[in-house]
Amino acid sequence: MNYVLRRLGFFVLTLWAALTLNFFIPKFMPGSPINALRDRTRGKVSPAALQQMLTAYGFKPHQNLFVQYLNYLGDMFSGHWGVSIGATLGTPVSTLIGQALPWTLGLVGIATVLAFVLGSLIGIVAAWRRGGKVDSILPSVFVVTSALPYFWVGLLLILMLSVWTNGFLPSDFNYDNTLQPSLSPGFIGSVLKHAILPAGTILITSIGGWILTMRNNMITTLAEDYVRMGRAKGLSNRRIMYGYAARNAMLPNLSGFAMSLGFVISGAILVEYVFNYPGLGYLLYNAVQNTDYPLMQALFMLFTAAVLIAVLLCDFATAWLDPRARAKG
Amino acid sequence: MRRTKTLAVIMVAGLLLTACGSNSTPSHNSTTTNSTPDDINAPRKKGGTVTISNEQGQTWTCQFNPFNPANYLESVGFVYEPLVFVDLLNNQAETPMLASSYQWSADKKSIVFTIRDGVTWSDGQPFSADDVAFTFNLLKQYPAMDLYSLWTGAGLQSVTASGNKVTMNFSQAAQPYFFNFANQVGIIPKHIWSTGDAAAHPDTWTDTNPVGTGPFMVSPCSANNIQYVANPHYWQAGKPYIQKVEYPAYLDNGPANLDLANNKAQWGSQFIPGIKQFYLAKSANNHTWSPPVTNVAIFPNLDPSHAATSKLAVRQAIASAIDRSKVALIGEGGQQPAANQTGIVTPTFSKYYDASAVSSAGYAKPNTAKATQLMASAGYSKSNPLKLSIITITGYTDWAASLAVIKQELAPIGIDLTITPLAQQTFDDKLFNGDFDLAYYGEPGGPTPYYELRQILYSKNSAPIGKQASFNYERYLNPDVDKLFDQYAAADDATQVSLMKQIGAAMLRDVPIIPVTESVDWFQYNTTDIGGWPTEDNPYAQPSAFSVPDTGQVLTHLYSKSAQ
Amino acid sequence: MTSLLVQPTAATPAPATTSRRGRGGALASLLRNRKATVGLAIFLVFCVLAAVPQLFTSVRDPNALSFVPSQQPSGAHWLGTTALGQDIWAQLVYGARQSLVIALVAGLCATVLSVLIGVSAAYLGGVADEALSMLTNVFLVIPTFPLIIVLATYAGKGTLLVVLIVLVVTGWSYGANQLRAQALSMRNRDFLESARVRGERRSYIIVFEVLPTMTSLILANFLGAALYSVLTAAGLQFLGLGDPNSISWGTMLYWSQSQQALQTGMPLWAIAPGACVALLGVSFALMNYAFDEISNPALRPVRRNRARRTHS
Repeated sequence: MNYVLRRLGFFVLTLWAALTLNFFIPKFMPGSPINALRDRTRGKVSPAALQQMLTAYGFKPHQNLFVQYLNYLGDMFSGHWGVSIGATLGTPVSTLIGQALPWTLGLVGIATVLAFVLGSLIGIVAAWRRGGKVDSILPSVFVVTSALPYFWVGLLLILMLSVWTNGFLPSDFNYDNTLQPSLSPGFIGSVLKHAILPAGTILITSIGGWILTMRNNMITTLAEDYVRMGRAKGLSNRRIMYGYAARNAMLPNLSGFAMSLGFVISGAILVEYVFNYPGLGYLLYNAVQNTDYPLMQALFMLFTAAVLIAVLLCDFATAWLDPRARAKG
Repeated sequence: MRRTKTLAVIMVAGLLLTACGSNSTPSHNSTTTNSTPDDINAPRKKGGTVTISNEQGQTWTCQFNPFNPANYLESVGFVYEPLVFVDLLNNQAETPMLASSYQWSADKKSIVFTIRDGVTWSDGQPFSADDVAFTFNLLKQYPAMDLYSLWTGAGLQSVTASGNKVTMNFSQAAQPYFFNFANQVGIIPKHIWSTGDAAAHPDTWTDTNPVGTGPFMVSPCSANNIQYVANPHYWQAGKPYIQKVEYPAYLDNGPANLDLANNKAQWGSQFIPGIKQFYLAKSANNHTWSPPVTNVAIFPNLDPSHAATSKLAVRQAIASAIDRSKVALIGEGGQQPAANQTGIVTPTFSKYYDASAVSSAGYAKPNTAKATQLMASAGYSKSNPLKLSIITITGYTDWAASLAVIKQELAPIGIDLTITPLAQQTFDDKLFNGDFDLAYYGEPGGPTPYYELRQILYSKNSAPIGKQASFNYERYLNPDVDKLFDQYAAADDATQVSLMKQIGAAMLRDVPIIPVTESVDWFQYNTTDIGGWPTEDNPYAQPSAFSVPDTGQVLTHLYSKSAQ
Repeated sequence: MTSLLVQPTAATPAPATTSRRGRGGALASLLRNRKATVGLAIFLVFCVLAAVPQLFTSVRDPNALSFVPSQQPSGAHWLGTTALGQDIWAQLVYGARQSLVIALVAGLCATVLSVLIGVSAAYLGGVADEALSMLTNVFLVIPTFPLIIVLATYAGKGTLLVVLIVLVVTGWSYGANQLRAQALSMRNRDFLESARVRGERRSYIIVFEVLPTMTSLILANFLGAALYSVLTAAGLQFLGLGDPNSISWGTMLYWSQSQQALQTGMPLWAIAPGACVALLGVSFALMNYAFDEISNPALRPVRRNRARRTHS
């Protein structure tokens, strides 16, 4: 139980640190939402009216900073995320996030899980057939792909499959603008078509890492005594491969996967930016550009919480699967 | 990528005109009823769809509150209409809209609008003078909605309706604000805005299903696309001809430009790099006409604490050395014209421009020899260069390219220019507070050059270094020039022209700012199926999709050729 | 982005097989590894470009707008010119310097920080360890890239220094975690015990006894941090959060994107600098992986004759 409490303590502390950072960094930096809005309206609208407008939407810059901070913490946890004061002035933050979340989850989430599963499988097979043709070139290839920048792969794909093919595959947005969202095959087809390039980018750049780690873990595990023992007992290869070796080799990869979620979000920003995909990453980029404090804060809180929850779940899963981990803390 | 924030300059409206007399506008007659060679006003049959391609960098929020500055561009003009339309590009020609006529009192402190008969809201309810009075009184009650400071700045005292008349009383002569209150405020329906959520918080009300008098209604709106359909109750008989407008969200210029080139969208309003090759050459029906409306200029810090830039010789040297047409050609890809040192935007405001004064002051052509001499007189040379830094906004790539050209042109005369791109927020802080040597910037304009130049040069728009100036960021303080501006509001047309020429002369003499290029109202249009666009020959409205309420004018002129 | 790849490739916790052979041994085995030699070769090529760019192009000021804009590749301009009239090849050559500086400086500083925090945490133990590991974990889990974007946007537009600081602050935690684990595993080794018995000071033991045994892991960490820095910095500059006046590959990418190079028929402008970032990244990744192979011989490629056995 002590272990669980410690992990929960860590969870709370980290979340608090992240939220605090996110509250104070923009507050102490130059720029104000009023000026941002003044720029957006090209000086056409009077600053006094803008100030009033932002106040009407709940922006209170002159309030005591500490009171603001406490309110902010309270609001973050109670789900009162407020109203956007940036380019999407007046739209509830929860609505904006609600609109963007499915796209990010659908695209980045699925692509990441796919990369993890496929990568792990290929890694297992490669380690099993160690010394085979595949295994001799595989590590080099994937060391290379895993070092490629997301945005560059994205640009390359756009160039080859969209520009050169005269728009064979769409290179931006989540679906064809002329369609209304529905469950019709046309709409779903359009969504899928628009997802191919960004999802391909994520797959290409992230699968290598999983293959390599899995292969390495697997090789280490295959040298363990209990695997030899399994062989000696005459168990089938399949049984040894999946039931003995892969199961254990998977453990460290699992926590790696949780940790990588944070990096997934980072990648999402660049991928969504390159492909103009209206997901959470794009939303964050816009929020920062427009000094949209409420939106920025809610997004950052979500990102941090998502990673923390994933790490926590993986910790507990690992602890449950592998009693040794509990002792280590 | 993203922000090729080529400054979409447009805006109109001298808002903080603090001191002003009356102003006589040329005519109250509608000029758009005059026939033009291609007979733009001939009746057309209904039908067809127009798609707008105007990069926003975000998806739609589907809010249409015309007083929300983040999205009023999608509601005013389309759904909500003003009392009178004023055409900035055509000597302030007026088109009566919801007011069929108006009458100023002799002292210009009171104006009576006669409200048009037979107008209905898009939900079928009748429109009346009550709605107009309600709209303006709501602005008093909710200062956040008073976007043009009518009650606080212009001196609006009361707005009352009686019969089909609406009377507005001001504490001072209010003619210069006509452009704001008659042309820019969209009128809203009382029967909707006086009940429920709208009544409780009209300033933050989302207005997702707007009811207006305008030519179009929203149906439906999604994050990716706003679709407008023709308003069957529209008061202009037979209009709009176009039955549907699609306004897709674009997050980036690239795809928006691609759709324009392929005629998937017909109405473009943004910068297209390499426009000849990537837009005009794609189809003989692709056209562009981007009329200049304001200046993009170098703002030198004139405060004595900035020794170099407050020195006249240095400013004169910079103004002489810069080859403005080269900047326009390379930095702006030839899509913005070169500006001139008087700050009068040509050809839009040509009648206020004095070409001979420019050449006799020696600013007609770049003159490196003279500039070198001036720098020498100030004690600088190529071997002993003056180090100056110019601030600009990151992401405005055309500006950055322009500055790269300027930097090269200033090097031989002994100025070592450092370009300092700043985040918008940081840039604003420095510019407003006077914390810069040189700044590259453009200000909003209005229906005459008076609006832009008064903002920039009028001493009351300035502030001491360290305090936020409202518009006079270079800190130019000249009582004589202030007087010229003060006289302008009360003067007749000929005197106004002469006053503007004198102000132009002050620009040549004192070089308070150095205009480099003229920023334009970006506009591309395709004529395969759609006709009736505003053109250089018939500039009946500002042409870009982000000019409101001009969009309403364009939308009621467009027609589909295949439907005829 | 970025960290994703740093992470998995470096993830194999290098088992404490490291002998006390010291640096020479690690380098020698590095040179014998084919991946390492390829990586090293790429790295050296870029070093030469960065050191003496003027040998490879006649252009002296690659950001000057000195040529006809938007030219296709030719004898005079190997990769053509930009829409603004700059020689792309010259920009590429001169751009190597900043990317390398960012990689090396940020990588080095981040590694020093990881060593300081990771090794001291392990060696000090107790409350100090608790506090330092907590700090490390917090930094490890906070999503860094969004944080970097916020920081870079507001910190007055990334001058090189701002970018470097941001990279170091966000880039040290992974290595610290690993180094702590390795140092922990060594705490009770005999040679350290004997040093303690000899009465050496703590700092002496850490610097002269503990660190040398961890050389290969520290080097691997440095390479990982350098890779992270290269990719993150390029990503930032690509988003327009760097210094648009600087000559670097990320800045080239930013300009090519803002001028829509792909759509306007100048793909090389965007693809070439991206390829350089990728190549530099690959070189670090190859060397890094090679270190894994060296410290964990089981991972090395096997010869065919040995392979048969595993197939049994």
